[in-house]
Amino acid sequence: MDALRTNNRAMFWRIIGRLFGANPGRLFVMLLALGAGAAVTAALLNLQVDAKRRLTSEFRAFGPNVLVLPQNSSSLRTETLPESIVHSVPVSLQGGRVVVSSRLYLVARLSPARSGESFSAVVAGTNPLAFLTGGVSSLPNLSLTPYVAPPTTGRECVVGTNVARQLKAQQGADFTLTNADRREICQVASFYQTGGPEDDRVAIGLRAGQRLADLPGRISSIELTVPGTPSEVQGYINDLRRVLPDAEVRPIRQFTEAQAKIYGRVSGLLTATVAIVLLLTGLCVMAAMTNVAMERKMDVGLMKAIGGSMRRVLRLFLAEAALLGLAGGMIGAAAGIFLSIGLGKAVFGVAARPRLIVYPVAVALTIIVAIISAFPLRRLAGIRPASVFRGEA
Amino acid sequence: MFLRIVADSLGRRPRHKLLTGAALALGMGVATAALSVSLDVGDRLAKEFRSLGANLLITPQADSLPLEIGGVDYRPVNAGAYLPEVDLPKLKTIFWHNNIMAFAPILEIRAEALPLAREDGGLQLGSWIADVPLIGTWAYHAVPLPDGGGFQTGIGKTNPWWQIDGRWFSDDAKECVVGAEFAKKNHIKIGDSISFATGDVTKIPAPLKVTAILSSGGPEDESIVVPLSLAQALAGQPGQYRKLYVSALTKPEDDFARRDPKTMKPDEFERWSCSPYVSSIAYSIKQVLPGADVRVIRRVAEGEGAILTRVRVLLWLVTGAALLAAVLAVGASSAASVIERRTEIGLMKALGAGSGTVGFLLAAEQLLLAVVGGGAGYAIGIILARLLGEKIFGAAPEPSLIVFFVIIALAAGVTILGSAFPLRRASRYEPAPILRGE
Repeated sequence: MDALRTNNRAMFWRIIGRLFGANPGRLFVMLLALGAGAAVTAALLNLQVDAKRRLTSEFRAFGPNVLVLPQNSSSLRTETLPESIVHSVPVSLQGGRVVVSSRLYLVARLSPARSGESFSAVVAGTNPLAFLTGGVSSLPNLSLTPYVAPPTTGRECVVGTNVARQLKAQQGADFTLTNADRREICQVASFYQTGGPEDDRVAIGLRAGQRLADLPGRISSIELTVPGTPSEVQGYINDLRRVLPDAEVRPIRQFTEAQAKIYGRVSGLLTATVAIVLLLTGLCVMAAMTNVAMERKMDVGLMKAIGGSMRRVLRLFLAEAALLGLAGGMIGAAAGIFLSIGLGKAVFGVAARPRLIVYPVAVALTIIVAIISAFPLRRLAGIRPASVFRGEA
Repeated sequence: MFLRIVADSLGRRPRHKLLTGAALALGMGVATAALSVSLDVGDRLAKEFRSLGANLLITPQADSLPLEIGGVDYRPVNAGAYLPEVDLPKLKTIFWHNNIMAFAPILEIRAEALPLAREDGGLQLGSWIADVPLIGTWAYHAVPLPDGGGFQTGIGKTNPWWQIDGRWFSDDAKECVVGAEFAKKNHIKIGDSISFATGDVTKIPAPLKVTAILSSGGPEDESIVVPLSLAQALAGQPGQYRKLYVSALTKPEDDFARRDPKTMKPDEFERWSCSPYVSSIAYSIKQVLPGADVRVIRRVAEGEGAILTRVRVLLWLVTGAALLAAVLAVGASSAASVIERRTEIGLMKALGAGSGTVGFLLAAEQLLLAVVGGGAGYAIGIILARLLGEKIFGAAPEPSLIVFFVIIALAAGVTILGSAFPLRRASRYEPAPILRGE
């Protein structure tokens, strides 16, 4: 009995081996269809997982999206927060790092060196100062000098275009900031134009700002650029509210809401496109495979003629299909993952990190598609071997 | 005879042909849907990005420096310059007038407010609140256009993240909208009234009815939004505004867009001004608003540009992948349909047909299939694209004729390519072994 079973199994695999070897052209076509399907599946799944994450980090371009303010402040000018609370802001997130910038705002009088005139402007003590130039680029066609050297002497300042126009200052020029009896000399390190209120301000180091305002160790606000999906940002805000009970944490709705909306649209679009492409890829592969399967009439007829039961015959063909699916899937999915790494590089400039989970999923899907497409062979159950051999059907 | 053989082949094995055709149609359907959506998505997303609000800010050129902290301007009322409201309809006369989605002029002042709470049918007089920031603007204003039409615009469109609990005021009625924080602090509800005054108050002016509570998440929560005309009257600046927010549909800026228009050659300048870059729209607005300084709100415009470019490339890649999958599957399926016809090919050759004739015959058959399958695929794809477009953007993409021709050409090319390889092999077949069934 055991010997018979071993024999049977050996025969089973021998037939399968023959089925593969019988027609290399057909084998190639089937592998091509399955492999292509698997490659596209793997590439799209990988890209989809990765692209959504990347997209949220692109939102960084919008700049800060969360503000920390003193509680019940009617205006930023009077109320302040202790500077030490910056250290309780969590900066490491799953989706990347939170960019933190603390500010102290005051109104001071500006007077260019060697000139009697002066005017008032908003001065923003900012830490870190270099942050200002990140994310907001200056307009090259305004013939303004871009940011060159990082601040080293501690008295550099970044001047908004509108202030610069009134100040008529050149890069490297000195001017004096006065608030009551306190004075700070500052040197123009660069200019910037954002189209926002920053254009009307002078940014100086936070220490200098605190000296000028006579508010050592105090800040008016913290600006945070939080990466992540809309729900992650909301979760971060809720956490921050718990961590900082004495401050008001407030999303900048203009950006958080638009981000949520755009993220929803883009990820919906991506998911829908990927789902449809996957579905139809499966159908295409199936149609191609079924076409091949239908010509197996002769094989089925022969097997039945020499006494194979339909169940065993079907099992043979299903095993063949599963093996083909496995081979095509493994080759195709590997190709697809490499493809998606290249694609990620093309879209986001950084290679997409391959998600290992994608590989078995793509292979499994390919095997399933291959098996399903072998099922039309069941229709051959009613075939009569004699009519096949007479060439009737 | 040629046509007869083709027709006979199609009629004889309808199931096989149907399957090959179905594979073709499905593949081309994916390709059509992906192409249609990709072609359309840029415009749709650009509209979506307008939920970020205005991307252009217009201020008087001669303005003094605003002392703005946290959205509150600390300048006295009489400082700084103003722009005339009369010029605003000109915004819709520029070359890019169709890209101007909305605009809203702003005049901010500080005034004393006197809330009148509505209680038990009567009005309960509160006490004066000093130094209340007022934002004078348009809620939903019909701007008369020079061509006779009207253009509905206002702050609701330029700042779409402002949430209104209630309804916006009418621009010509004595109504106002109160910021949520201010309302909470001073116990103001919808239906209450507020009087405003500047300078020495001799008599209480006619009150404004509160129609809504505004929640913006920003400094506006602590101010009161009033019709522009009222703010102008309080400031003593009739027909003037100080800031104008413009929301425009733009094309992401590239290196060319960032060049200084003054350094461009005439043909370059023409190309620049004929592209809806945010800078060229700013330039054409500047031409119609004398004395105005048009600034691009970089934060909005550049973030939008960066993301839009990425998403576009991403979608083209998905489309490329879809096309690749379709091409391979269709190619495989047409290759299979040639391989299975070895006997037929052998017979034809035994009867004296040359390799060229056989190839030509099969190619004609495949081409016919490609046109039919491709056409059906186009129809499927258009339906898919509609479903997709409506689900995601609420609007279906327009079916495009170019896509149709691209799809038909693609289907024909792919089937021919897919059958070329097995056909070449087929042309080398010896008829005798095939007919013997070997």
